[in-house]
Amino acid sequence: MTVTFDHLKIGDVIDGPVFSVSRESIRLFCDASLDYNPLHLDDEYMKGSFGKTNFGGIIMHSMNNFALITRMLTDWAQPSGAIHRRLETRWLKPVKPGDTIEPTGVIKSKQVTAKSRWALIDVIIHNQNGEHVAIGEAMVEFPVATKVG
Amino acid sequence: MIQAPSSNPSFESDFWKDANLRKTWDEIIPGEPRRTIPYKLTHEAIALFCKAVGETNPLYLDEAAAKAGPFGGLIAPPSIHILLMFACTPTDDWMRSPGTVNAGQSWSYNIPARPGDIITLQARALDKFIKRERLFVVHDNVFFNQNGEVICSGRGQTIRPM
Repeated sequence: MTVTFDHLKIGDVIDGPVFSVSRESIRLFCDASLDYNPLHLDDEYMKGSFGKTNFGGIIMHSMNNFALITRMLTDWAQPSGAIHRRLETRWLKPVKPGDTIEPTGVIKSKQVTAKSRWALIDVIIHNQNGEHVAIGEAMVEFPVATKVG
Repeated sequence: MIQAPSSNPSFESDFWKDANLRKTWDEIIPGEPRRTIPYKLTHEAIALFCKAVGETNPLYLDEAAAKAGPFGGLIAPPSIHILLMFACTPTDDWMRSPGTVNAGQSWSYNIPARPGDIITLQARALDKFIKRERLFVVHDNVFFNQNGEVICSGRGQTIRPM
């Protein structure tokens, strides 16, 4: 399905992919990202505390959230010739093996600049309990030369 | 013990190695460039990254489809900087300190990275501060391809281990 800048409406929703988190998915993300921080690998280490925080077990890479939001945005933008230009995120809650996470986007505003057109998108990832684990904002560019339709 | 990743056998995956050489929060100087290492991005590394996050976009994975597409060849997903960050980071760098907790990121994308690119990273701590008894560092990062073109640039915050 494609979208055009002109037909895009404030409040339009972008559905993202459902992602099941497991020890295996976290391990695979270690290999794929080369991020072998023991936060994601070492059960013994994770019994300890980090400053004021105790996670109680290994946690998913927060950048796995980031990559999942990216996947949602590019899957939405690319078929229309739009370009994912920016993503800013904050993490609200750790994600653990057994969790299921799902990103969603909502069109917040549209902006026309001297040379291009932009959609600003609020993004949220929620888990299986409806809790927000990550929030952020994205910018997708709809170049003027993009074919309409 | 962790095995070296098959995608990059020379990569040191034991993040405790050289841990004593890494700068602590007290020693990190905002503004001081980090030493980084160039990295050759391969189709295999892109494919593994795609597998880990469930990416199935043919622009990243299907050479024939990518050739006919808007970029004229295979590209990497924008989020590939997640891999590039560690691929370009030497073992004695504080980004690898065990217990480093990511507190948020913002990234801007210029052009896609492509398989075969030789990627370089210019990076530094830009700021550090204390908030609610936690030690934060702000780092900024810019990835370039072999032609000196900016691929993407980003800023992140980490909470440093105490």
